Amino acid sequence: MPAVTRGAPLDRLMRPVHRWVWRDRDRRLRKLLTFADVETDGGRDIVRAAEVTSDPLLRRLYLEHAIDELRHGDLFRRRGAALSRERRTPRNVLLDGNPLPGGHGLDDLSIDGEPDHRLLAFLHVAEKAAAGRFAIYRELVDDDPETRAIFEQILRDEVFHMNYTYTQLTRVSPRDYRRHVWHARTKRLWNRYLRVAAAIAGLAGSAMLTVMYFVLLPPFAWLAKRAERREPIGWTPIAPGRADSPRSQY
Amino acid sequence: MKILGISAHYHDSAAALVVDGVPVCAVQEERLSRRKNDAAFPGRAIDWCLAHGRVEPEELDAVVFYERSMLKFERILTCALRAFPRSWRSFPHAIRNTLGEKVWMRGIISSYLGVPRQKIFFTDHHASHAAAAFLAAPTRCAAILTADGVGEWATLTAGRGERRPDGTTEIALAREIRFPHSLGMLYSTFTAYLGFAVNEDEYKVMGLAAYGRPTMLDEMQKLVRRTPDGAFTLAPEYFEFQTTASRSYSSKFIDLFGPARSPYDPIDLESPEGRRFADCAASVQRVLEDLLVDLARQLRRDTGLSDLCFGGGVALNGVANARVLAESGFERVFVPPAPGDAGCALGAALYADRLYFHQRDRDVPDHPFWGPAVDAEELARAAREDGQPVEELDDPAAIERVADELAAGRIVGWMEGACEFGPRALGHRSILAAPHAREMRDRLNRDIKCREEFRPFAPVVPIESADRYFDLPPGGARLARFMSGVFPVRPEWRSRLAAVTHVDGSARVQVVDREMAPRLHALLDAYGRRTGIPVLLNTSFNVAGEPIVTRALEGYSTFRRAGIDVLAAGSTLVRKPALAPARPGKEDIAWWSESVAGSGAV
Repeated sequence: MPAVTRGAPLDRLMRPVHRWVWRDRDRRLRKLLTFADVETDGGRDIVRAAEVTSDPLLRRLYLEHAIDELRHGDLFRRRGAALSRERRTPRNVLLDGNPLPGGHGLDDLSIDGEPDHRLLAFLHVAEKAAAGRFAIYRELVDDDPETRAIFEQILRDEVFHMNYTYTQLTRVSPRDYRRHVWHARTKRLWNRYLRVAAAIAGLAGSAMLTVMYFVLLPPFAWLAKRAERREPIGWTPIAPGRADSPRSQY
Repeated sequence: MKILGISAHYHDSAAALVVDGVPVCAVQEERLSRRKNDAAFPGRAIDWCLAHGRVEPEELDAVVFYERSMLKFERILTCALRAFPRSWRSFPHAIRNTLGEKVWMRGIISSYLGVPRQKIFFTDHHASHAAAAFLAAPTRCAAILTADGVGEWATLTAGRGERRPDGTTEIALAREIRFPHSLGMLYSTFTAYLGFAVNEDEYKVMGLAAYGRPTMLDEMQKLVRRTPDGAFTLAPEYFEFQTTASRSYSSKFIDLFGPARSPYDPIDLESPEGRRFADCAASVQRVLEDLLVDLARQLRRDTGLSDLCFGGGVALNGVANARVLAESGFERVFVPPAPGDAGCALGAALYADRLYFHQRDRDVPDHPFWGPAVDAEELARAAREDGQPVEELDDPAAIERVADELAAGRIVGWMEGACEFGPRALGHRSILAAPHAREMRDRLNRDIKCREEFRPFAPVVPIESADRYFDLPPGGARLARFMSGVFPVRPEWRSRLAAVTHVDGSARVQVVDREMAPRLHALLDAYGRRTGIPVLLNTSFNVAGEPIVTRALEGYSTFRRAGIDVLAAGSTLVRKPALAPARPGKEDIAWWSESVAGSGAV
């Protein structure tokens, strides 16, 4: 059985960054609202896992887990909404939203067709990481007892999720459970790499398109604006036969 | 001929299969992927349709995509050019978004299904809407009106359709209003301004409108101007949807209407701010209704026809539809059960069948039940495994039992047969409850739907009794068949139908005939025998943020998580025990891992 968590080494190393994030009310607010979405999406994915598993015990545990996650999403959302109402002066933020392309809960895990042992290993690793990070966050919001209380409450649930997924993994795959956990860890790392790589590719693509926008588009923009001024307003007649070109995408 | 229709990438994607001119099945991707409003390429929906129709991809005569992707790309590029240099932020996003997948539909469909590229066809977006509205409606000749956010360039089209005695079909869209002048975008802009999710929560604006007064019509006139030919334009300086993807209204819009609502702030209708938002909703709703009524009147004058087929996402606005029926001069208004983009999958397939391949016209069954069927055995097995009490009754006994439960004030999850195609639960995937007390509405909002208290619930009534409880105009029952119209509850019944009567005395009623939904009709009869009022509250079988359930196990998981008392799949019933068994805290992992098996405690 894994020990109750105290934060992964990387998260402990990143503590100053976490402190910087949580110190600011705007960043805290956005972080809470992001958590709300992630927990809710994760909860829905686990509901799906409960619907597709053939194992009745897992179905019950997944449902319990999903109810927890959906409740966490609600807690984060309510707290975020309360902080939003407290915020007097809206501020410009450095980055609006998460720059890394995220997935729909559970890192875009496809639930349908996924065997139970793989899902349990994935959930175990994800819950353990989340519990470790939440343990750090709990300490960083000492000045905000309500947010701290939410982390404490969620942390208790995360420990349960971490433990039950491990116990069930040893039940459904008694010989290979360690290998499955390692596989899940590797896959998680790979997914992180993909997210970072996709983000970098996205930024590079955006930069190139922005350069093209300012270098290539001005004459076409001039033409487009000129054409716009000539466009009639109101009804436009549809030429007969316009829709009769079945293979054209134009 | 076997024709597969596909819609994808902008709202809820879907697939539909038409064989020999008649729909065989249709389903939205979200119902299978379980991701609400799933706009991804509908691989699951396609696979299910082909499996259900027992058609191999190579047997398909055509695959029809519901719009012309390149023309849409042209519009996106042109709008970016017109907004130069203000569009510099949105340009990279728009280009990457479009070039990533959306313009390569021919190749994507061809490689997914393994069909030759010459079998892949395209229709105009609004032609698909028009076909979905006209070809599925029981009328020979009708005026056609379509309105949505935007297709390729068109946002609204008008024309006529005819099924000729020789079996040929004509759909002639004569004129259009082009982007950025769009009723759908106008309404969506207010949806965003009022803090709701665009393309999803427009019906919340409609619900909120009943609490307000249209006090901002002068301001609205600055946004929407009529043109001499009877159309309209939007004043571009108040909108940003045409230049950026990040916000649909401009600073000038905020100067005019005041600060936007944060999605995280509750709407307090007692406060001036809450009333301002309600008045905003009422004002845009009034403008939408007035415009639609005018456009429909004009169309009635031009065509001289008595039937109107109305499609596109704007046709989901039941209040506006009812006014169009009452004031435009049309005697009947047909709105399909899936008037939005999902319905275009079916529309595109029917359009290709009748107009590209010139197949003889065939009557399309007049019901919305084209999706996967529920398997009652699946429910019975899961419930037994969890130690839940299961009853497998014969059909009449099950209906009587459910009527008993409803009359006793219990909430019932009701699944039967094939699921609905479209956003409405029309009696095959519904949560049903007694409609009499306001407390029932509050309980449903609190324990199951987790939604704003201002949103109303809909009633369902047998066609034979509809006029007794609801003030339906001529043609109203037709509009109410797929819950497409909002009509007054008769004043003498409002206090006894309090859970389904909106604040303005109206209700988005569904009128059921025995032929379309015999079991629901029988249930309403049975409930009427017990209570004297054969009306039930009918809301979609889902919880907030999730698509409507499809399979029995999805209904079962919703039943277990939400405050539903009884679950019915066909004639199999599962009832929640009155007292939940005690269970230890979550630190007792051994209990949760072992003792819980078979206890039904979770």
